[in-house]
Amino acid sequence: MAEETKRAEDLPREVEMPSPTAWPIVLAAGITLLVAGLATTVWLTVLGACLAAAGTVGWFRHLYPHERLETERVEHEPFKPVTERPEVARRREVIQEGHRARVPVEIYPVSAGIKGGLAGSVAMALLAMLYGVVSHHGIWYPINLLAAVVYARPLLVSSHQISTFHIQLFLVAAAIHVLASLLVGLLYGAVLPMFPRRPILLGGFVAPIVWSGLLHSVLGIINPLLNQRISWGWFVASQIGFGIVAGLVVARQGRIHTRQYLPFAIRAGLEVSGRPQDKDPGEGQQ
Amino acid sequence: MAPDSMPIARALSLPRSERKPWLEVLHEWVITVDHKKIGVMYVLYGLLFMVAGGIEATLMRIQLAVPEARFVSPQVFNRLFTMHGTTMIFFVAMPILFGFANYLVPLMIGARDMAFPRLNAFSFWMTAFGGLLLYFSYVGGAGVYGAGSAPSFGWWAYAPLTSPAFARGHSTDFWTLALLVSGVGTVGFGVNTVATILCMRCPGMKLTKMPLLVWLNLVMGGMLFFTISPLTAAQLMLMIDRYLGGHFFDTQAGGKATLWMHFFWIFGHPEVYVLIIPAFAFLSEIVPVFSRKAIFGYPIMVAATVGIGFISFGVWAHHLYTIDMPSYGQAFFVGMSLAIAVPTGIKIFNWLATMWGGKIWLATPMLFCVGFLFQFLIAGLTGVILANAPFDWQLGNSYFVVAHFHYVIVGGILFALFGAFYYWFPKVTGRMMDETLGKWHFWLFVIGFHLTFDPMHIAGILGMPRRIWTYQPGHGWAIWNMISTFGVFVQATAILIFVFNLIHSYLQGAQAGDDPWDAWTLEWSTSSPPPPYNFAVIPEVKSRRPLWDLKHPEDPDWQYE
Amino acid sequence: MSTVPAAIPSSWATRLPRRGHIGMLSLVAAESAIFSIFIVAYIYYIGKSLSGPTPRQILVVPVFGTVCLLSSSLTIHLAVTGLRKGRARVFKAFWAITAALGAIFLTGTALDWRRMIYKLGFTIRTNLFGTTYYSLVGLHAFHVTVGFIMLAIVLIFALAGKVRQEHAEKCEALSIYWHFVDAVWVVVFTVVYIVGR
Repeated sequence: MAEETKRAEDLPREVEMPSPTAWPIVLAAGITLLVAGLATTVWLTVLGACLAAAGTVGWFRHLYPHERLETERVEHEPFKPVTERPEVARRREVIQEGHRARVPVEIYPVSAGIKGGLAGSVAMALLAMLYGVVSHHGIWYPINLLAAVVYARPLLVSSHQISTFHIQLFLVAAAIHVLASLLVGLLYGAVLPMFPRRPILLGGFVAPIVWSGLLHSVLGIINPLLNQRISWGWFVASQIGFGIVAGLVVARQGRIHTRQYLPFAIRAGLEVSGRPQDKDPGEGQQ
Repeated sequence: MAPDSMPIARALSLPRSERKPWLEVLHEWVITVDHKKIGVMYVLYGLLFMVAGGIEATLMRIQLAVPEARFVSPQVFNRLFTMHGTTMIFFVAMPILFGFANYLVPLMIGARDMAFPRLNAFSFWMTAFGGLLLYFSYVGGAGVYGAGSAPSFGWWAYAPLTSPAFARGHSTDFWTLALLVSGVGTVGFGVNTVATILCMRCPGMKLTKMPLLVWLNLVMGGMLFFTISPLTAAQLMLMIDRYLGGHFFDTQAGGKATLWMHFFWIFGHPEVYVLIIPAFAFLSEIVPVFSRKAIFGYPIMVAATVGIGFISFGVWAHHLYTIDMPSYGQAFFVGMSLAIAVPTGIKIFNWLATMWGGKIWLATPMLFCVGFLFQFLIAGLTGVILANAPFDWQLGNSYFVVAHFHYVIVGGILFALFGAFYYWFPKVTGRMMDETLGKWHFWLFVIGFHLTFDPMHIAGILGMPRRIWTYQPGHGWAIWNMISTFGVFVQATAILIFVFNLIHSYLQGAQAGDDPWDAWTLEWSTSSPPPPYNFAVIPEVKSRRPLWDLKHPEDPDWQYE
Repeated sequence: MSTVPAAIPSSWATRLPRRGHIGMLSLVAAESAIFSIFIVAYIYYIGKSLSGPTPRQILVVPVFGTVCLLSSSLTIHLAVTGLRKGRARVFKAFWAITAALGAIFLTGTALDWRRMIYKLGFTIRTNLFGTTYYSLVGLHAFHVTVGFIMLAIVLIFALAGKVRQEHAEKCEALSIYWHFVDAVWVVVFTVVYIVGR
């Protein structure tokens, strides 16, 4: 910025600014009266038209042949950049020195989330099928129920049908299961580093129970038929199974340094000209 | 100090003989083309109409406090909710947000004024006169056999309630004309904002170095063209129907009433985002400064805003799930309405990530921003619920919907606005707002807000429809309505404290200095209030936080961006 | 230096877009949204009228007017190019031709409307088709009229010798508007005279 480098005598003493003018308000009043005449009396329209015409002409003459300007005297008080709050970090363990907080310092790589999600999905599927066996509905029963979230026909057929294998339902359920598991795994990978204390408690118990509670309260409204068939105890159990396994797998992966302060081009691995001198983002402060 | 930026305070502090005559001061403001004065006028004008809209809301809440009340007549009640909605959207929320944009955008991009200063004045006066025209309907809109003075069809103005057969007299015409006139002003403002941001930036300020407030207002300005114009077109059709005997919305001649619904909501839903994006802009400036950290994920914030801008034009029919629409149409709008929650969620996470690990300073502007985060989250979640067509069939047009959008507009936009008032008041007037009064304002307003709007969710789930004049006892609605009405008075108290704080601080607040918050954007590098020319020398920037670079020359931002 | 203009430093300013252009393009964006709504209404109501007459019975395709309007886009482009190079006579000639072509189009529309209203008794009240036809074509004709008035004012100033090379940018902004009006006519023509008949 220029202020700090220039001395007072180098600064301009006057600045030209557009001069004030009444024509815009005249034109606006004219147009308003012109249309207001439609709902009142035609004479208002006539008055409005006259004002609008005067406003237009006046505005034009304000700009032509030369824009009217007025000079403002510069009463300059140079801006003195001072800071009273230089430091940023609240957590000493995050930032040792300086005034830039860079949190989180370490995150899990994306692959950790994917691995956690896949591992969790296996655990959840096993628990769900165990429920099928224990409840004498058969192992296909929970799979068909999951498919019924988007594909409601099995709920309408007999309870025999819902316990047998259907290839379409299996594919639908597998797709939902893998997709949802991957997304939740990625979410765990992104969120867990932000809770350094007891990630397993949070990811393994708190999140599944909150989610189950939310679903329990609304499923009866969204899909009452499906609601009748859910065994909530087993539902919570399989959710927790997912959470613990996914959380453990994620937490066991190695962490990497964040690179959020690097320019986008460097983070994307692009070779661009004029990039600033490379700084290792992981080494705290430069 | 600029000679005439604080006319009243200066006038009062001067001896009587040196005061400027008030007529001269008034004249100065009326003919001004200075973006700062126009911005202040926008805000003051919006606050004025906020009083009107607030009184209307209070009257409605008094009427609904107990079952079978007779506080106002059904006709008056219909006028109240119509005028309340129209006023708050068109003549309160938009003018105040535009006023802030008008004031801040040129300062933040290091410009001396808007691209078209005279168009700026014209746009403001069109908006102002539009509001006067709307309220003139109370006097001039007297209809045939008591059919109404002010319009009474709800702010959606669904056909056929607006047809000549059902809307006698001129109240409908005043409503239409007022929105047409103010619409011209709004589009003028949009043109000016986009041109200013694209063409008036100071040296070094590339698009990637603009403060987020400027970016978000650029998106908002661009959206205005495709938001307000459809409304203008639909109003023109309505005028053709009413004045020239056309048949656009005339079902007797083969026209469709649902066409108006579509046209109105093609305006109506993007309009919500036109209002919330400037609120996001305030948060994106205030949260980093009071967390003492740079904004987290700047490029993603910009991308999410642009994404919201585009998706918002594909969600309008979630207001019309209950009309004749094919199921694939419903599925499309459900999908789009759910999808728009994703970029919005990204923004919330980015603000949280900005706060996380920061040295948070809970001054009043930051308090309002934290309030915003909580309430806007809930508003967004009820929005996701309502985006599902089956849910909407149950809850559409119930008080649940009323609660949802008031959570967005009051809990979200208004909270961000209050934060912005406390944050930029020192820049505009040179004086700080009182912190103690500010804390009172915040806590009373939070309590009043939740008392008013939380019970509405429950009343809505219990089946209370919106826009009813009164109700029978025994539905289980009475207690929730009573709490709501009580909450309105708490909110009103908080607003009174706010207004008192504005006036009190303007006259007697502590001197602010140029940079009271130790902030990082260009508006804080000029005096408070800024001189008419903003900057004696046009600044040059190298990063998104030019004042950080000045304050920390050993560790400037441009080494990282 | 003592007095500095309000503008920003020139070396940087050349890298920014010109505000006249951006302003006009923004206005065009807003106008196109208005036209889109009217065009959607027209398409939606094709064939929905409960009574006659139908477009096929009434409409005569305005071939001559269309050719005139579309070719005026070329002439205004040539006029502005001439002005930018400082060739005042070229500018005046092509600008006058543009205004004349616009006037021919407007006259054609006026005559067509007179035929329909006074000879055939087909008005905006007649049926749904009348409502949508007159409002869409009328909205376009209104924009052509506004453009024509602007063209005429510039022409008067040009004939008085007051339009010089430094005004090229403003004339160019006006030409953007005129191109837009032409482009809209392509859509309106397609919808009204080809799809809707």
